Order: sequence, then C-alpha cells, then structure tokens
Amino acid sequence: MEYQVPRKFPTTVVGSYPKLEPAKQALRKIRKKQASPDELRGLFVEAIRGVVEDHLWAGVDIISDGEQTREDMVVYFAERMNGYMPGEWTRIFDNVYFRKPIIYGKVEWPGPLTVEDWKIASSFAEGRPVKGILTGPYTMLEWSFDLYYGDRREAVIDLAKELRKEIEALVNAGAKYIQIDEPALSTRPWKEEADIVKEALKIMLAGLDVKKIVHICFGKIEYILPYILEFPVDQFDLEFKNSNFRLLPYLKEYGYDKELGYGVIDVHTTQIESVDEIVEDIEKLMKLGILSPEKIYIDPDCGLKRLPREIARQKLKNMVEAAKIARQRW
Amino acid sequence: MTVWGMILGAYPRSRLARYTLRDRERGILDYTQYTSRLLMIHSEIIGVQKAHGLPVVVDGMVDWHDIFRPFIKRWKNVSIDGLLRYFDNNFFYRIPVFTGEPDPLEPVWLPRIRQFKNLAEPSSLKIVLPGPFTFVNLSQNASDLSKTELAESITSILKSEIELVKEESVFIQVDEPLVGDRRLSKEEVEEYLDYWNEIASLSSENSAIAIYFDVPRKEVFDIVLESKFKYVSVDVIDSKRRAIELLEKTGLPGHVPVLGIVDARRIHEDSLDDELLTMIKKLSKESHEIVLTTTTWLDLIPYTYALKKTKILSKFVDIVSEKIGLEKRILWR
Repeated sequence: MEYQVPRKFPTTVVGSYPKLEPAKQALRKIRKKQASPDELRGLFVEAIRGVVEDHLWAGVDIISDGEQTREDMVVYFAERMNGYMPGEWTRIFDNVYFRKPIIYGKVEWPGPLTVEDWKIASSFAEGRPVKGILTGPYTMLEWSFDLYYGDRREAVIDLAKELRKEIEALVNAGAKYIQIDEPALSTRPWKEEADIVKEALKIMLAGLDVKKIVHICFGKIEYILPYILEFPVDQFDLEFKNSNFRLLPYLKEYGYDKELGYGVIDVHTTQIESVDEIVEDIEKLMKLGILSPEKIYIDPDCGLKRLPREIARQKLKNMVEAAKIARQRW
Repeated sequence: MTVWGMILGAYPRSRLARYTLRDRERGILDYTQYTSRLLMIHSEIIGVQKAHGLPVVVDGMVDWHDIFRPFIKRWKNVSIDGLLRYFDNNFFYRIPVFTGEPDPLEPVWLPRIRQFKNLAEPSSLKIVLPGPFTFVNLSQNASDLSKTELAESITSILKSEIELVKEESVFIQVDEPLVGDRRLSKEEVEEYLDYWNEIASLSSENSAIAIYFDVPRKEVFDIVLESKFKYVSVDVIDSKRRAIELLEKTGLPGHVPVLGIVDARRIHEDSLDDELLTMIKKLSKESHEIVLTTTTWLDLIPYTYALKKTKILSKFVDIVSEKIGLEKRILWR
C-alpha cells in the first residue's frame, strides 16, 4: 500500500526523536556491554516502532526512524567506520559532552549502517515514505579530530566516497528520500567551504533517482546561502523558527527556487507552537511569493531529540494540522 | 629581549571535574564538598602550568559553562536563554538576555584571586574578562537600553572587576573573539575603542586583548592596534596564511605580541615551522618581549590533550628562546 504524499505542503521530520525508553535501555546496555545482539535488536525495534506510531498519530507524511540507535549523529557513524577511533569526552554545552571521535586512518565504509533501522521503520510506516538520513562528510570531519588527513578537502572527499556506499544501500533497500545532514556547514560560511561540500555532494548523489535533501541549521545560514544554491540537490531543509525567520528575506534576495524544508517548529523550546502560529509562519513564506506550495515541505527546525516525547508529539500534531489549513488556503 | 608562555583561557574538565559539577547539580555534593573538590581540580591545573615554567597561569576556570555565564550569574537584570553555537565550534553557549541595566551583586574574580594567588606563586595569575564588543553582540538586548548604553554599562562592570584586583599583581586579559570575524567592518568596531581604552587604562602595563577563532580584517585590526592594551593576542594557526599576512602588513607597533601558535582546537602534535619562526624573529625585533600562547582556550579538546598542549607550549618557548636568542622568562614580574 503506497501512501499518497500530499502535493502541497507535505509534512516531514528532520530525523531524530526523543529517545524512547527501550532505546535508552539498549544504549545503556551497549555502554555497559551487557546485552546480546538479539536483545538489543528487540529493544531498538520497539523504540523505532514507538517513534513511527507517534509520527503516524501526528499525521506526518514523510517520516523517520527517529535515530533511536544513534547515540550521537557523528559518533554513531564514526564508531562503525574503519579509520576512526573513539575519542574522549569533549564538551558541547554546560556539563554535556560527546565522545568526539578521532580519524586515525583512511576512512572506509564497513557495510550498511542505517539500512536496518530504515527497514524497521518502513515496516511500521503503513506505506508512508521513510527518509534515509545520514550525517554528511563535512560535518563528520568538522566534529571529529583529524590525525590522518591533515587536508580538509581530502578528508571530506574520502568520507563522501564512503558515505555514497551507504546511500546506495539505502536506495537499494527502497528509500526514496535521502537526507544528508550538514549542520556544520553554517559555521564556516565561506565560498571555499561550500565548494568542498558541493564537490562531496556530487560524489554522493550523482545518478540517483531519489529526492535529494541537505539539512543545515543553527548558524548564519544567510551567509552561506548564495554559495549553496548550485548544490546538486532538490531540497534544502533549513531552520527558520528558532532564528525568528531571519533567513526569509535572503531567500528572495538570492532568488531561491529549490524545494524548501521549512522549519516552523523550534526544537529548543518546550513551548508548543499553536496551529494558528504555524499557519501564520507559513504565511510569512507565502507572502514572499517565491515558492509554490508544491515546493514547500513543512517540518521542524531540526531533530526533536532534546524534547520530552509528549511535547515532540504535540508539536508535530499541530504542525500537521497547520499544513492542512495551509493546503486549503493556498 | 625575552620570551615567555601562557595558556590563553580555560582548561577542559577532567573526569573528576565533570563528576563534581554533575554531583553538585544533582545535590549530591553540598557547597563545602563542592568547593573543596574544585580547589583540588584547579590546583592541579595551576600546578601543571607552573611545572612547565609558565610565568602567568590561569586557574583553569573549569566551573565556567561559557565565557559569559559566571558574570551573568552574578548580575541582576540578566537572564539566560536558549543555546547558540559559539563561533564555528561544536560548542554552544547560553545567550545572555539583558532585561534592564546589568547590576553586579558580587565580583567574579576577586574571590578566585584570593583563593588561588598563593597556589600560583611564583607565577602570576591571569584574569579573563569577556570584552564588551563580544558580550554585547553575542547577547540579546531585551531592555530599554540602547546598544551603546549596554556596552557602557558592561564596560563599567568589567572595570570594577579590575579595580577590585588591582593590588593583586594579576595579568588582565580581555577576550574579544568576535573581533576576529572577517565580515566585520571598521564602523562596527570603532565605537568600542573607547571602551577598550577605559578598561586598558586601569592597568595599562599588564593588560591584553585577545582575538581568536579567526583573523580580523586589516581595517578592524588597525583599531585594535590603536588601543592602549600593552599586549595584543592573535590566533596565528587557525587561518595561518591570513594571520601571517596581516602581521607582516601591520606588525604590532607599540604592543607586545601574544602569538597563538599552539592549536587549542585540534589534538595533533603541533610543530613550530620555519615560517612561524621567521615571523616571530621579525616581531621580536620590534618588541622587547614576545609571548607565546594557545590559539584559544583549551576547553574545546579533552583534558588529556590539554595537558599535552601545555607541554608543547612550554617546548615552543624553549625552541624560540634557543633559535632566536631570546631570554626565557620564568617570572612575569
């Protein structure tokens, strides 16, 4: 049974979702080396099913596996790819840390990393498309320590070649939407950096018959915008709500005409956006007159992982309701 | 002519430090237990720097969540909001939100200096203050104050921090990482020259301005060079080519160069190549003193690597001393 994604204002998610209890249990057991592969799989299947049920309850059109198996968006891939070794605790904010991985050799894809989770999510999705989501090579490098390459471009391109294999595995499994997360790109908003990513994306996405998406968030995206418009992708998925839609006039200024993942849910606040508020925020984009409703995907600014589950669910529900109203209005 | 080294800012948290902060947040440690553990942690960090012959040391500031937090915690009419990325790092600070004129309830540095001064001897302690330009522009102003009024107010509080420790023979560093933003224009920065000079004039012989994460445009750096800070610190490694070009063009006339040549954001073993040595040699002809430092604070790398970087800095001081013929300074004063 194939689900019919609405033609106008389809709703989607960026990827991560609050860790559900079985996933938390599984990750604890992994850290303590206390579980068998079968037990872990059982826990993760349960967690992914919970995420998909929440997405379906909210009515999201294009869903995700909630990244339940990923302790962190970089560490998950780094721990599994050859050429990486585990790092030590590095602070992200306050007293919160991640184990910033270390590249110590040539990176190599070890075999499918996300395909199993994608399949599990798809099996519960009642025909709705599930995004295949992976951390992009630029962010993989930026948020790792590099002791091997010493040359940023060379490292990014090598990572891109290996991550291409993951994308092919997802596509072979049936994924129709591929999203590459590059939040680090907004932190160095210079042309020479954007050029590296453009080259990497060509390697990763050339010749694939899928919806190609790049997600960027939380930074001075307006500075990088003019350099990324030529990227070989169908859609940019961008954060708007948290930065109070500061980016909107720049879309017009730079003649933005690709599809847009329009972030209308702030993932850094537990305050739930009302349906009316989201409709008003959609109107802000529509007033610009630069994109038709068919090119606008309504979604949160970023992954929802830092929110309590109930808040995340309700935020998605209101987002979907707002998109329904928008479909009638525009 | 002399050369000496100092760490630019905070150290990362060791396992003990992480657990200490966590246990305090959870109420497992009472205030006395918490402060005595912190004393132990900071003492170790001060000891490491002394052991490596650094004449000016930081206390480690491991209890600082970000550069602004210890200040806004002690000021009225400022709260904190959500997280925002701190420059191009995978590190986030909490945005200070000014709801009125900031009003300090207690100083940040005086108690620390009193606590650590004896431990640091014979080295001198350094105090680090967020500069008014970076403070104002990385905050949210929800008050009735104009941006200028807010900058004046912050400057006034920073000056009072310095006044309180003036007799303590400390090194004073004002951090202005935002000045390194290559997109800034001269006009955006020039208003702050007066504020910098107000701060610097309180302690003109022992104050520094530190710029890091990137290299400012020449027109912006020219304003920095007009300031009364004796020491000017530049990150030489992050954008090495641009930094060397800038320093070749402008030099640091009237200031002592503080050169960030140990990469504090990456964990590789640093090397002091001929290009850097040539630059240092050239600058040493214009200044009686050269200071070597880390490119930024060390808290963006794990603790074990921060210790290694301290050792590397000390080694670089020895190399520069030997190859350029500068006397290595063990005591700052």
